[in-house]
Amino acid sequence: MDAALLEQMLLGALLALSVYLPLRCGQLSLATPGFYAVGGYVAALLSTRVAAFAGSGATSPLWALVAEMVLGGILAGLIALAIGGPVLQLRGIYLAIATIALVEILRVLNLNLPFTGGAMGIFAIPQPFEQADGYVLFTLVLLALACWLCQRLEVLRLGRAMAAIRDDELAAASVGIDTPRTKLIAFVASAVLAGVTGALAAHFLNAWNARAGSFDASITTLAFVVFGGSRYWLGPVLGGLVLTALPELLRPVGDLRLILFGSVILLGPLFFPQGLVTAERLRGLGALLGRAPQAP
Amino acid sequence: MSASSDGIAAAAAPLLQVEGISCRFGGLLALDRVSLELVEGEIFGLIGPNGAGKTTLFNVISGLTTASSGRCLWRGVPTAGLGACRLNRLGIARTFQNLRLFESLSVRENVLVGLHHAARAPLLGALLGHGAFRRHQGRLEARAMELLALLELEALAEQRAGDLPYGDRRRLEIARALATAPRLLLLDEPAAGMNPAEKDDLRQLIGRIRDHYSLTVLIIEHHVPLMMRLCDRLAVLNFGRRIALGSPAEVRRDPLVIEAYLGGSGGGQGSAAGEGR
Ligand SMILES: Nc1ncnc2c1ncn2[C@@H]1O[C@H](COP(=O)(O)OP(=O)(O)O)[C@@H](O)[C@H]1O
Ligand SMILES: [Mg+2]
Repeated sequence: MDAALLEQMLLGALLALSVYLPLRCGQLSLATPGFYAVGGYVAALLSTRVAAFAGSGATSPLWALVAEMVLGGILAGLIALAIGGPVLQLRGIYLAIATIALVEILRVLNLNLPFTGGAMGIFAIPQPFEQADGYVLFTLVLLALACWLCQRLEVLRLGRAMAAIRDDELAAASVGIDTPRTKLIAFVASAVLAGVTGALAAHFLNAWNARAGSFDASITTLAFVVFGGSRYWLGPVLGGLVLTALPELLRPVGDLRLILFGSVILLGPLFFPQGLVTAERLRGLGALLGRAPQAP
Repeated sequence: MSASSDGIAAAAAPLLQVEGISCRFGGLLALDRVSLELVEGEIFGLIGPNGAGKTTLFNVISGLTTASSGRCLWRGVPTAGLGACRLNRLGIARTFQNLRLFESLSVRENVLVGLHHAARAPLLGALLGHGAFRRHQGRLEARAMELLALLELEALAEQRAGDLPYGDRRRLEIARALATAPRLLLLDEPAAGMNPAEKDDLRQLIGRIRDHYSLTVLIIEHHVPLMMRLCDRLAVLNFGRRIALGSPAEVRRDPLVIEAYLGGSGGGQGSAAGEGR
């Protein structure tokens, strides 16, 4: 497997986690690609228009990449914070539709703003790494950090409050959980992660345009989570990795690959309605791993 | 607002005052100018046939439903517009007639969610799992297990709440409500679906809880003999109206109640509807 594909898979896993965070709190938000696009534009603009960010050597400085990721995450988070209050009053499919509309609004803005390069977008984004391996290593660290945070959520008060809202929002409010605030935190965290991922992806892809945040991408990233399972962070990560790799690995079969890819998305939920990773399978895996060292 | 006179009023005020609450759903008047006052420390019973408006009154008190008119006062202060979360933080906790547990979470986690307010900890320490955070977590876990022991659920701590049998779910709802450290506990048909032995245990348990936490309890229950023994005072609702209020003995003798609900010695249809559950 080549490093470029691996990098795409890791980015897919990060985006899947961004969809998972609101879903962990019962909120079906499809806004992830919109925030991803915003993060990407922050990185693309800074590194092509600001000399310090572009650097002078063969590669752009690493600190610039990190700074762009932070700024991209902050901008995405601020947008989420501003619109989250009213939008999160919607529930279920209505929230999904509102977030699709948000992605569309951001896409049209990105197409038409005077500094985003129109339909062509922004080119020749400088590379902080000479080869794809560098991206892979860097993204792996980022993914590990995101997974660790999601794992900590399982034992934290915030994570329990999110799970309670997912199970029964009204009962959660009745035991003193500030449900609007908790949902907003999940939504903003999701946006920050998408923004950070977009900033990284803009460099890796070398060019950035409004197609990064499209309705198609909303559906694809949702498929990651549906396929992998939305109960534990491992599910979206697996879903993001596998479903990003699949179209590429199926390339040899030609046009048939789209049909095969579609079938996987269709059949996955049929055979694994809870996604690949469920509580029972995780427990089974834990028992297996727990026993293994004691076996003679 | 003059602070000094309010302070005096609050000190003398009952824990909860329900003043002329009406609640209309379209053409249906579910509550019709209902008033009652809860004195701190009492067990107050609410009885009445199905559809009388008992659950609706709980929903109004706990902030899940907005009354069409009338008001509730908590220690003398109006609670209008506070919402379920704020009212719980003030000290009102409830259980649900149709059970609303966090079904995908374990029994222990359900109680931990109830301890949400007590679980505040500095974020960084919590993320890194510092010693101070772990000790704090340990105290919370101990508190959760204490509550589970009180409700005789500790053996089921790691079971999924959604997998529990009916009676255990009802007790878990009580444990979760108690975890929020309430001053007033609203119990909506806590004995529904229990057998007579379980019902008797529950009656003693509610008494114990009241004494242990010096709580005030407002309880809805159809099983009239249980309510007569358990409650200090009773109110009877019928078609959204409060038709009686007083000690169990007074309510039992009230002609309106006998006609509407208890069905007299002959055991009319009201009796069958009321006690059959
Ligand atoms: N949200 C609602 N919308 C419409 N009607 C309701 C609603 N909640 C309760 N009701 C109606 O109000 C009446 C009282 O219901 P409820 O308070 O549940 O009675 P009880 O708990 O005494 O059995 C019933 O006729 C019920 O159908
Ligand atoms: Mg009821």
